[in-house]
Amino acid sequence: MKTSKYLKFAAFCTALLAFATPSKAQLFPHTYINVDWQMGVPLSTSFADKASGWGMNFEGGYFVTPAITVGPFISYQTNLESIDRQTLDLGDGSILTTNQEHALYQLPFGVTARYNWMTKRVFQPYVGMKLGACYAEMSSYYYVVKQYSDSWGFYMSPEIGASIFPNPDYRMGIHMALYYSFATNQSDVLIYSVNNINNFGVRIGISF
Amino acid sequence: MVKTLRYLAYALLAVAFSACQKEPSTSDLDNDYLVYTDYDTSVDFAAFETYFIPDSILIIGSNYEAEYWKDDSAQQLIAAVTAQMDNAGYTQVADKAAADLGIQMSYVEKVTYFVGYNNPYWWWYYPYYWAPGYWGDWLGWHYPYSVYYGYTAGSLLVEMVNLDAQAGENKKLPVVWDSFIGGLLTSNSQVNLQRTIDGIDQAFEQTPIW
Repeated sequence: MKTSKYLKFAAFCTALLAFATPSKAQLFPHTYINVDWQMGVPLSTSFADKASGWGMNFEGGYFVTPAITVGPFISYQTNLESIDRQTLDLGDGSILTTNQEHALYQLPFGVTARYNWMTKRVFQPYVGMKLGACYAEMSSYYYVVKQYSDSWGFYMSPEIGASIFPNPDYRMGIHMALYYSFATNQSDVLIYSVNNINNFGVRIGISF
Repeated sequence: MVKTLRYLAYALLAVAFSACQKEPSTSDLDNDYLVYTDYDTSVDFAAFETYFIPDSILIIGSNYEAEYWKDDSAQQLIAAVTAQMDNAGYTQVADKAAADLGIQMSYVEKVTYFVGYNNPYWWWYYPYYWAPGYWGDWLGWHYPYSVYYGYTAGSLLVEMVNLDAQAGENKKLPVVWDSFIGGLLTSNSQVNLQRTIDGIDQAFEQTPIW
């Protein structure tokens, strides 16, 4: 997937810069960058709604004021679920009996804004909101077949979190956040439908 | 502390680079067979009374000549279909010219061939399949519904043709019910045979027309 390659390349370049300049107090002036592992669970979705840690979040922001940051974000998440053997009436005379593996993949990206407190302290909490688009792929794997449908939707995600910088002068620390997300994606596979995707999750990562 | 954070950063980046879209493990999908059936919803299956079934199963393989499977295992599979048809209230006849329905069974031995087709005439292009002329004076096949098959090694096809349909040089023989049973191959031939019989039973059980 091309998006994945660009994402990894961007993250890799960012990491090289971060590790190559350990003496700088901040990689880019008046900015922050987060790279997070993400664990999420879809809510009110009867398709692949098991909690999963197959997710990452990448975001950065510019301090437009001492407390407010604005910047881009992109994240991805896959949730999986095993479905026992069952008989599905596909309509118009078609009937299928099989076991399945379900996968729900989400790739939201857009703009993130934060209000930050205590930006000179070790513990720096914030509240944030992400707005953007969400690409989602809903897949059923059965027999030797992958049947899927993809969709686009509007995405919004409020979150609360904090960055912890052991040495505030050296801006390299830990990031933690709780988030809720809502996307307007709609798609169908076999007899299954997804109408809006809600998630609740946790992010833990690094901040610099 | 900074050193620890740097190790954490390396670990996160390793995770990020390892996968974007996670594919599920499909190894468990091999543990069971798949049954797909389809039928013509406009046909009154109660109007049929008799059926004819050949004493062999066509093998779809890599040979250029048609091969037929006739041994004891094949007879057990044919018997499983016969039992289900009898249970459905149809009567087997020895003369195909006198039958209302014809049953043709095919086993995919080697080839892998996927079909997802809305054109009901696609059989014209598949070699060494059951010939429409076997059943009578028809030219080609006709599926009154969309056909979606996955032809992989170890699959069984069971199809029911309407022998009461109008025949003629330009007429096509309608397939009014079909089933595809996949995932039948294991290293144990007895397991394979039992799976196939179970698949046949499931194909009839899940079809609500009899």
